Amino acid sequence: MPDALHRLALLESILGAVNLGAIVLDEQHRIVLWNHWMARHSARQADAVLGQDFFAVYPELRHKRIDSAITQALRDNFQSLLSQTLHKAPFALYTHGAAAGGNDGEERMQQAIAVTPINLPGSPRHCLIQINDVTIAVGREKLLREQTMVLRSQTFSDGLTGIANRRHFDVAIEKETRRAMRTSSPLSLLMIDIDHFKDYNDHYGHQQGDGCLIRVAAELAAMLQRPTDLLARYGGEEFAAILPDTDAAQALRMAEAIREHVAGLRIAHAKTGNEVKHITISIGIATQHPQQQPTISALIGAADRALYLAKGAGRNRVMVQSL
Amino acid sequence: MVNLSELENDALVEIFNIGVGHAAAAMSEIVNEEVTMSVPSITFLNRADAAALLGSKKDGERICGVSQHYDGAFATEAILMFPEDKSLEIVRLMVGDAMPLQELTEMEQEAMSEIGNIILNSCVGTLANLFDSELHGSLPLYHVGTSAEILSSFGGHDDDAVVLMLHIDFVLSKHQIHGYVAFVLDLSALHDLKQQVSRYLAKVLGQA
Repeated sequence: MPDALHRLALLESILGAVNLGAIVLDEQHRIVLWNHWMARHSARQADAVLGQDFFAVYPELRHKRIDSAITQALRDNFQSLLSQTLHKAPFALYTHGAAAGGNDGEERMQQAIAVTPINLPGSPRHCLIQINDVTIAVGREKLLREQTMVLRSQTFSDGLTGIANRRHFDVAIEKETRRAMRTSSPLSLLMIDIDHFKDYNDHYGHQQGDGCLIRVAAELAAMLQRPTDLLARYGGEEFAAILPDTDAAQALRMAEAIREHVAGLRIAHAKTGNEVKHITISIGIATQHPQQQPTISALIGAADRALYLAKGAGRNRVMVQSL
Repeated sequence: MVNLSELENDALVEIFNIGVGHAAAAMSEIVNEEVTMSVPSITFLNRADAAALLGSKKDGERICGVSQHYDGAFATEAILMFPEDKSLEIVRLMVGDAMPLQELTEMEQEAMSEIGNIILNSCVGTLANLFDSELHGSLPLYHVGTSAEILSSFGGHDDDAVVLMLHIDFVLSKHQIHGYVAFVLDLSALHDLKQQVSRYLAKVLGQA
């Protein structure tokens, strides 16, 4: 076989074997090359599309970015890149062949496309459209995104009890005080502390202490059912509940119900130092009224004072302090 | 360093504004939302001053760059540059789907490359059309680094290289983002560019 013919046959075989879509258009946008990869992943064989106008085969791509990319290649001699991120899947191509796409509703292959001018001596400029299958990379990034979201949510939750952590509380209280001011609605804060918890830990050991925290946190969370309520572990055995759109009277009723509920669990506590031999909680309440200039420190300070008063007055009770 | 008359300067600013106008239209079509871009001014600088201009806010601040090489009527390396956080903002506004990461992922880098590809081809294309000449353009390359690192990786070690710097204002979804396009030109390319500008002016002013 003469060298030139041999080279041509070799090039044709390579074009048929490469793992990438190749379409060549002439200066009239007619398809002059359609490789085997294109035939395999689209429903169209080369015989059916060769000689046809590209936009007659893909009318939906007219006036899209690929249209101007082809124009820039043929007219201006410029190369263009069409990223998957901005275009997803312009061509109806399927990773497992076109038949699979038709039958099982397989999603289109995700595509990265390059449009390149081809300058041939003695004939008008052509352009090459290369299509890469980036479906796997897209899947990898989706996984990365999901895992990052999980990690981020973990940095906002308490490792032991699974409820919001202190960092989450700080962000939420900031957001809710501003929202309360804008919507002229009251905002209440409960500071909740497990009574004689140090004695519980000393007597039953830290593992059972942790179990007690987990149990109480879950019971508190179950009591706060509104989606805007937020229960957070504030520190040690102390919890905080942010209650938006809740005035002082409603907060007091809520706190009383929570206190009763926890006492009603009858979680045994032998070392309370008094006749009550189960776990109880003390709660301090503060409410920010719509007409008040919100300050987060004043709100937290008042709830803290109320909790201190509840402890001083004998525990297992609810106290209120104004800002 | 570079003596352009006021008329030549204005002509170049106008040409680049037409160019980024085309780019904005192409990007609007992609995101289905209005994108506007303008070039308020251009400056000629040496490489060190160009790097200083880009890096002036914070020392060692990282810049994202998208570069393409052009040759033909004149040869240049064109680089679109944004501070790294701004390129994050642009890509995520364009994509509309926030990746919760402080750096662009590979796929997002490719999107940024495409944005650079659109802007650079539009600017250079308008230039070439008006000059009635042809340039050959490469595919875009993505870079991250300080402005000095990015600018020094082009045009060899020619200390005479001149940077034609375009200030670009980019507005998308009420966000306004400032960026730059730098054309690194060696002295002969600069000479060719100036000749093209004066030829163009002579033509439009009817003095040809």
